[in-house]
Order: sequence, then structure tokens, then C-alpha cells
Amino acid sequence: MTGGFYFKLAVQNIRKNRKIYIPYMLMSIFITAMFYIMRSLTLSKSLRKMEGGTYMGQMLGIGSVIIGIFALVFLFYINSFLMKRRKKEFGLYSILGMEKRHLGKIVFWENFTIGLMSIIGGILLGVLLNKLVFLLLANMLHGDIPLGFEIPVEAIQSTALFFAVVLILIFINAFHQVLTASPIELLHGGNVGEREPKTKILMTIAGFVCLAGGYYLAVTTTNPMAALFILMIAIILVMAGTYLIFTTGSIAVLKGLKKNKKFYYQTKHFVPVSGMIFRMKQNAIGLANIAILSTGVLLMVSTTLSLFADMNHIIDNQFPRDYIVSGQFNADEKDSSQMLANFKTAAEKTGVKTGNLLYYNYFSITTGVLKGDELITSLDRPKGFSKSDSRSVGIVTLEDYNRINHSRKTLEDGQILLYADGKPYKNQELTILGKPFNIKEQLKDFAGSGDQISANIGDTFVVVVKDAAAKQQLTDLREDEIKKTGNSDYDISLDKKAFYAVNAEGTEKQKHAFQNQVSQGLNRFDDNYWMQDRESGRASMIGTYSGLYFIGIFLSLLFMVAMVLIIYYKQISEGYDDRARFEIMQKVGMDDSEIKHSINSQVLMVFFLPLVTAAIHMAFAFPLMKRLLLLLGLDNPPLYMAMTGLCFVIFAVFYAIVYKLTARAYYRIVTA
Amino acid sequence: MALLQVKHVKKIYTTRFGGNQVQALSDVDFSVDKGEYVAVMGESGSGKTTLLNILATLDKPTAGEVYLDQKQMTSVPDKQLAAFRRENLGFVFQDFNLLDTFSIRDNIFLPLVLAGKKYPEMEKRLEPLAKSLGIDRLLDKFPYEVSGGQKQRTAVARALITDPQIILADEPTGALDSKSSDQLLDMFEEINKKGETILMVTHSTRAASHANRVLFIKDGVVFHQVYKGDMNNEEMYESISNTLTLLATGGQKS
Repeated sequence: MTGGFYFKLAVQNIRKNRKIYIPYMLMSIFITAMFYIMRSLTLSKSLRKMEGGTYMGQMLGIGSVIIGIFALVFLFYINSFLMKRRKKEFGLYSILGMEKRHLGKIVFWENFTIGLMSIIGGILLGVLLNKLVFLLLANMLHGDIPLGFEIPVEAIQSTALFFAVVLILIFINAFHQVLTASPIELLHGGNVGEREPKTKILMTIAGFVCLAGGYYLAVTTTNPMAALFILMIAIILVMAGTYLIFTTGSIAVLKGLKKNKKFYYQTKHFVPVSGMIFRMKQNAIGLANIAILSTGVLLMVSTTLSLFADMNHIIDNQFPRDYIVSGQFNADEKDSSQMLANFKTAAEKTGVKTGNLLYYNYFSITTGVLKGDELITSLDRPKGFSKSDSRSVGIVTLEDYNRINHSRKTLEDGQILLYADGKPYKNQELTILGKPFNIKEQLKDFAGSGDQISANIGDTFVVVVKDAAAKQQLTDLREDEIKKTGNSDYDISLDKKAFYAVNAEGTEKQKHAFQNQVSQGLNRFDDNYWMQDRESGRASMIGTYSGLYFIGIFLSLLFMVAMVLIIYYKQISEGYDDRARFEIMQKVGMDDSEIKHSINSQVLMVFFLPLVTAAIHMAFAFPLMKRLLLLLGLDNPPLYMAMTGLCFVIFAVFYAIVYKLTARAYYRIVTA
Repeated sequence: MALLQVKHVKKIYTTRFGGNQVQALSDVDFSVDKGEYVAVMGESGSGKTTLLNILATLDKPTAGEVYLDQKQMTSVPDKQLAAFRRENLGFVFQDFNLLDTFSIRDNIFLPLVLAGKKYPEMEKRLEPLAKSLGIDRLLDKFPYEVSGGQKQRTAVARALITDPQIILADEPTGALDSKSSDQLLDMFEEINKKGETILMVTHSTRAASHANRVLFIKDGVVFHQVYKGDMNNEEMYESISNTLTLLATGGQKS
């Protein structure tokens, strides 16, 4: 019977506080729905059947874990905020004679009601929206769309279980808050005299140093291989810097302004400066969180969007033709004729029409370091070498070059053509393996999208030598050098590489037979060659990149919902705090428009600070992200820049709309 | 000559959607001379606060006029009201109304900053004032760090620093203990002796006994008034008590 009483009281409380509880409930329903959708898509059988669906499924599996983590963090944060607002209410109950365990019961029933409603509501909404999202994904993968609903029971179970755990944690936290406070404290709630924060010079300096260090790393890192590791360090530094600057830096700056009496005691600055000090004290962590999350989401969406948008281009780069055969050539050029014969017989047997054949052999040296006009290739890297001087080299014959480019260039002994991918090379001479060469011409390109030599991410030289003999001579020199180093494990035959790419026309069946035929023919070459086809490569890429893109969109949606809520609650709670101040200032002789203006400028600053911070972070992250995207095969900075800009603008507009709408709620409270 | 003239002021509150009408003031008519110290007394709901709000230009009368130094307050346009209030009126409230984000000094400076005064001038005005009110050592503290009496003295300093024509005080001793109350009332008397005009709304007989004249409001009209004349505070106290008893026992206007 008493249980019923507490339940009734809890429901009444929720109804009474609907202004803050309805948004909270909507948010948890939404998050639950998103989590369910992620889970059910991961488990979806019809998605797996689509081309690239397996890769997509893996991505979504990771995505659901990330969404779970975010859900936990957001719900926790918002709930502890709500509890803070309601402390007064609980204080009243305990003064009216309720014991802690009674309060615990109320808190329990409140959480139970809301939790149950949001889990059920969330799963229902998820089931409904699931079909829509599925259609979207199927469209991305260009897959067939099956009829009817798919409702994996396992997804419902895991969603319900996960959120039940989350809600229990939230309940424990809320209960803990009520439990540890005395009734007087509860009654006064947030109103205990706010102390003016102190200036912390050391922390402020540390903040700026961290931020500068992070920015420096992001801007100066040129080696994309190192980028991944440096990115981690840069992220940590920038995050630490952001927190420090928001919490201590802002206060140091404001206090500095306050010390300047001429500046401070002006109508325009007096109220905002002192108000901001307290506002920053209360909100710094929250604002830093918003800034960092915005940056993260923007980076995520802009990179995944760029990858998705540039997918066809990336695929073309990796698969310049329908079929690719690559490997190590054994008997040098003899392999080529056999390989071409292999293609030809396969085509004849299966009735496929081949065309647009591209092939070349190259000798690869990956340990090059440029020193003046000499390329040092020793396995023991010279001392004091900088990463920006490292070059990998591919040596090809003029014959291959002319065939690929349909040109008739000629070379004398000791002359080369050079294509420098990445950093340009300005000298006239280049010494390779102790042999000096004269550069007859700097090439603008080697084999277009079929260029395997420069396809790696570092800076590359493609060196075109006069003939096979010249190439062999360099191969021999390299062999000697490696022997001298005494490195017996080094297998130089791995550096002799061959690349074949061909288009094939015919029915699906014919093409399939052609692929099998060619693969069989490869056995002759002692397993040194392998074959890839564009279609399966495309499927895996579309699956992976669409999955990434999808998660990016999903997560940013989640984040935005959470942000809207955080901003809404901040506005409301500040509104209640500011109402008293508003009245006092009015009585002392400030007119309405002045007050509005002053409050508006503070609120504006508080809300747009994270946005501006995110923009600055993104600008500095750009060079590093550009290089990281190279690792994933995206070599299109203008596209990435455009996408980043687009994402930021959309985000800023959205942010501004949220601000405008919540500001209205704020004014209604303040002027009530 | 009368500094403040309240002429047949009437205030009717209408609930939303034109429902019930509540008459807060029916016909209030009195005047305050320059340098006077007037207390307004009355029970809860007698219209004291409404009257003070009208005098403070925070509210407008339904009918009647209020003049401050021959200037009709009710005709000051809304936009200039804040400036008018700042320049002519000083406020002291029951709950102090200090801003918790400002130090004591900045709270006192607030009206001057709003008026666009220069910092050196503000300091010049503050120094003697803070000393005479006994808060010169608290200037860099914050409101939550000082006692109620000190807060109220801060509020008095804030009211006086603009050199207003009249001080309006709303239950200034309402939130203070008796010792702080006495100190504050003595301070008011002293300020008044220096020539400041004070109009104080209060419940407290003790507070009212310090005034030169006490007005009694009942049912929206000035029902009676008591002049202090040559009486000392104790005699005045008794006289006010008697009047209040008369009011409470429902004596008809005679």
C-alpha cells in the first residue's frame, strides 16, 4: 500500500516537473531507438546478404558500441543536472518528515517510470524507424530491398538489457546525491553563496602550452604514417588545453579585465564581465565538453562524408581496371610475355573481350633518404636524417613508360626521366646507388590512376631508366649493397614487382570464368602473383565506407539531440538564477533593454564559445586529417575542405537555431 | 515646500481576462516636505507595497498623480524611467537586493556605473560614505561573506551614492536582528539630520517611532497620521501603538 503511495508521488513529481522531464524522456526514447536500430541492423540477415553487407555489419557493430558509450555519458550527465535542480524539492520532503529511504523510494519510482517508458517507447520507435533506416542503407549499398519488417529478438533483448543497466546506474547516482546531502543543503540546493573563483596563472599557462603543442603537432606532421600516433598525442594535448583554458584561462582573462578599472567600470562592461566570471565558473566544464564533442563530431562527419563522396574515385585509384594481377617477377621481362599469353588464352577460352591493358615491371627501393642530390639507400639509416627527406623509389624502363603513355621519348646512357610524387625535386642530377644520373625531364605523371609506385603514402620517385640492362645494373648494385650490410634475411626478389591491369567485357558468367581461368594460369608462376577484381573490392569498400558514413551521421544526430537538451537545461536553470538579478537591476535603475542587452551578450558568449573553439580546433586539425585521409586512400584536399566547410556551416546554423529557440524559453522565465 | 506630492492616487488591479477587480489604493493623498522622515504603516494588504511601487515608478496608478520636485512622475516616458529612478530615487529593500556576483564595492558602484560616471569620481564619492556607514573595510568582500546588517548598510550606501532626492525604504529592518535594526534606524536618523528625505514603509512600530511623521494606511486610504513633534522615541512608540490598537479594534474614522 505504501509502495503505491510512493509510486503515485513519483508520477506526480514527474508531471509537476514536466518542463524538464519531458525533454529528458524524449531524449532517452530517441537514444534507445537509435541503439536498437544499430543493434538490429548489425544482426539483420537481409543486410548481410547484400554486397558489402558483411563489412557494413562489422562497422555497425562497432557503431553500436560507440552509441552505447555516448548514451551512458549523456543520460548520466543530464540526469545529475536534473537532480541538482530538484534538490530543493527533496529538501522540502525531508523537512516534512521523510527519511532518506523514503526519498530513495520516490527517486526509485521516478526512475523506474521514466526508464520503463523510455525503453518501451524507444524500442517501439526503433522498430518503426528501422525500416526507414534500412531502406537508406540498402540504397547506399545498391542492394535489393526485401519486403516486410525484420525484428530481431536479440536486438530487443540487448537494447532492453543495456538500458536497464544504464538506468540502474543513473538511479544509484541520483540516490547517492539525495543520500549524501543534509536537508538544509537540499533546501538551499544550488543557492549556496557562490564564491568568486581565483585566478590560477600556472594552470592557465599550462592550458595554452598544451593547446599550442597540440596545434603545432597537427600542423607540422608531414609523414602520414606517423600521423596516426601523433594524432593521438595531439588530441590529448588539445583536449587538456581546452579544459584548462575553459576552466582557468577564461577566468584569468576576465579577472584581468576586471583589474583594469577604466575598462571595467563602464556601463557596457560592468555587468557582463562580473557575470561572466560566475557563469564560467559554473559552466566551464560543460562548455569544454560541448566544444570537444562538437569538434569530434564535425571531424567525424566531415571525414566520413568525404570518404563516402569520393568513394568512386578511391576505388578507381585502387582498381584502375576490372582485373588486377600483381606480384613479383622472377625471370625479369620473360614473365611479361607469359602473363600476356595467359590473359589471351583465358579470354579466348571464355569469350571475354579484353581491352585497355596496362602493365609494367618495377624495381622498388623503399629505404631511400635524400641528401642533396644523392639518394642514400642503405638499410642503416644515416644519422640526422629527417622524415621529410625519405623517398621510396620505383625503377622502370623507358619501354614500359613509352608503352603506357603512348609516347616516344628517348634516353641516352646515364640519363633518366623522373616523376616526383609528393615533394618536388629541383636538382638536375640524381645519384642512385652511387651511380650519378642526369635528369633529362621531370615528368608530370607516370601511369595515371594505374600508378602503383606512387600509390603509397610517402613521397616517391619514379625513375625511368634507358633499358632493361640499366635497370638490371641498379638491381645488382642494390643486391651488393644489401650483401655488404650483412642482412641475410633480406629477400630482394620481393622488390622486383610487376603490375597488370585489364578490362574485360562479357556476361557476368563469362567474366567469372575468365577470372578463374587467369587465376589458374597464375599457378605457373610459383604463387608469386595474385589477382583482384574490382567488383569484390568495390563491395568491401562501399560496405566499409558507407558504414563509416552512416555511423558518422548517426552519432552526430545523437550528439546534436544531447546538445539541444544540454543547452535547453542550461538556459532554463540560468533563467531562474538570472530572474532575481534582473529584478534587482531594474530597481537600481537599469532599464529593460539594457538588462536584456547585457544578459543577451553573456548568454550569447557562453553558447557560442564552444562553437568558435570547435572551428579553431578544426582549422588546426585540417592538415593532419588531410594526411590521415591519405592513408584511407582519399587524395582530394579540395573535396575534404569543402565537406568540412559544409559540415561546419550546417552545424553552426543548427546550433544557432537551437540557441534562438531555447533563448525564448529563457526570456520567458526571466521576464515573468 | 513639498518635495513629494501624492494626489488622489488610485490603483485597481484587474485579473487577467477582465475578471475580478481588486482595489489596492482607493484615494491616497499626502505630501512629503524636503528633509522630512516619514514612515508609512499599515497591515498586510493595506496597500503599502502598491503605494511604494507607484512612488518607485515600478508601477503606474490607475488615477491620480505623483509629483517629485514639481515634476510629474507618472508622465515620465517608459524609456527614461530607469534613468529617472537612478538619478532621483534611492532604494533600500527588506531583502537587501545585492547582486551576489559583485563585491560590496561594485554593488555600491552599480548605479554610478549605469549613469556612466568615471571611476575616480566614484571612488571619491565612496570613500566618505563607506566610512560613515562603517563598511570601509568590507569593500572587497562579497555579499555572502558579510552579515545581514552589513548587507543592509551596503544597500544604504548604494542608495545614497547617487545623491538622490528621496530615499524609499521598504521594510528595511525586516530581515535584521534587533541590534542591527537599531543601528540601521540610528543611521537613518543621522542621514535624515544631514538633510536627506526618507520615506519608509514598515510594519515595525519601533522602526516607525524613529520617523518625524507616521502615516497609517487602511483599506487603500491614508487613515490617520501622527506627528512626532517634541516627542522622544519612546513617547512616539506609545502613540503609534495606540493608533495601531485603535485601527485594529476597528474604530470608525472620526
